[in-house]
Amino acid sequence: MSEAEQPTILEVQELVVRYGSQTAVDGLSFSIRRGEIFGLLGPNGAGKTTTLSVIEGLRKPDGGHATVDGEETVRAPLAVKAKLGVQLQASSFQSELTIEQIARLYAGLYGLSLPQRQLRERLADVGLEQELSKPFKKLSGGQQQRFSLMVASIHNPPILLLDEPTAGLDPQSRRQLWDRIERSRQGGGSILLTTHSMEEAQSVCDRVAIIDHGRLQALGAPRDLVAMHRDDPRVRAVARGDVTLEDVFIGLTGSAIRD
Amino acid sequence: MTETTVPAAPQIGLTLRSLLRADATVLMRSRQAFVLNLAVPILILIVTNRGGRLGNPGFLIGMALTYGLLSSALIGYSITVARDREAGVFQRLRVTPTPTWAIMASRLAVQLAANLIVSVIVMIVGSIMHNTSFSFGVYLLMFAVSLLGAVVFLSIGQAIVGLVKNATAVNAVGRVLFILLILTGILGSTGILGDDFKSFASWTPVGALINLFSAVLNASAWGTDQTEGIIASIGYIVVFAWIGIRWFRWEPQ
Repeated sequence: MSEAEQPTILEVQELVVRYGSQTAVDGLSFSIRRGEIFGLLGPNGAGKTTTLSVIEGLRKPDGGHATVDGEETVRAPLAVKAKLGVQLQASSFQSELTIEQIARLYAGLYGLSLPQRQLRERLADVGLEQELSKPFKKLSGGQQQRFSLMVASIHNPPILLLDEPTAGLDPQSRRQLWDRIERSRQGGGSILLTTHSMEEAQSVCDRVAIIDHGRLQALGAPRDLVAMHRDDPRVRAVARGDVTLEDVFIGLTGSAIRD
Repeated sequence: MTETTVPAAPQIGLTLRSLLRADATVLMRSRQAFVLNLAVPILILIVTNRGGRLGNPGFLIGMALTYGLLSSALIGYSITVARDREAGVFQRLRVTPTPTWAIMASRLAVQLAANLIVSVIVMIVGSIMHNTSFSFGVYLLMFAVSLLGAVVFLSIGQAIVGLVKNATAVNAVGRVLFILLILTGILGSTGILGDDFKSFASWTPVGALINLFSAVLNASAWGTDQTEGIIASIGYIVVFAWIGIRWFRWEPQ
């Protein structure tokens, strides 16, 4: 089966989310296929995290809907959550617990009773077998990200949602994380990630959606987006040499600084 | 990655066991919880037993128990919940297939169990220090009053984290309320501020509970004060639990 023929695992349809009088997400639609790595790109306040929070079942949309593997997030929130692996922007675990206890807690919350051997294998897989009695906050930034990703995928979900997974990581840790994301895809999983790094989007994602002010600006494979917008005057105005995905991003979303 | 079969819907029993185990570990590792739960009431027993007793043993042990239950709920429980909310601990738990009621029920159950264990220890230590012995029936009644008191104060703690969003503000409000309730209860119970204040204080959460403990530990005849204490306590539970559930927000500010 070719990539394009893969069934849809996640579908967002005409999504609208408002905070009071402000519209954070304004009729956003996209879908993700099985085995696909999909990037959601946008400047600060574009609506990326809000969109993820609807998919995660943390927020009810004011319009439209999101479905995961055929289950609607509002109608069947627990069933949807069982199919998702989530890494939030700031991973917060109880500071009094060791990483072994945290892993055991989250395995239990996904209905898994992991035997000790299997749990140690999981921790060894992310290079943390020597750290199992350490609290999460005592781990380095790279270790924390690897552990968070391990917890997010502890139940081998069909889709992982990663909110800025490589923010603040050094290049080595970032590459390691990209490898893990790729391995997860090879295992049949899909990944939806948000990022500010165009290098990351270009290297890791099969397709990306560029959003701004909660609206879809462009959707496609990074290479196709560059080809498609190469001659767009907004993109040409910001390009410094060969047009890159970053030029397309800034051309479509503007160069004003966002808070 | 290791292949694992994921259940379609996790069983609530396993979910609750996992949460209870984690919450109990957090509570046992918290030095603040230990001090508030056990050290404070024991300290009160020691202070009130030195240089001549400040009242009858039943009243003093009841006061120590009430003080311990109040501090662990208003300063311990509410601040921990506010801190975890601010740190995003609840958001992380909420993206798992765990019903929100289970997250909060586990926290409350662990805190309640800790309060009851501490109450039994304080009562045994108190009876030794005050050279008094109690029958098994009195212990059972004491246990029941401790349960009632713990639920009253946890409801107040829940109302605080329901109404106040910021963890620093929860800390401040909890401490101020703690001092106000303690002063009202103790000053009212001793009667040094007059009969009107004593009557008012007997309807406050602390005053009502001290009256109940005092009556149980002195094996005195059941009076109007105690009946009113039970009515007041149930009223506080209903009102504060409703406020705490109705206005509680899971997400950080």
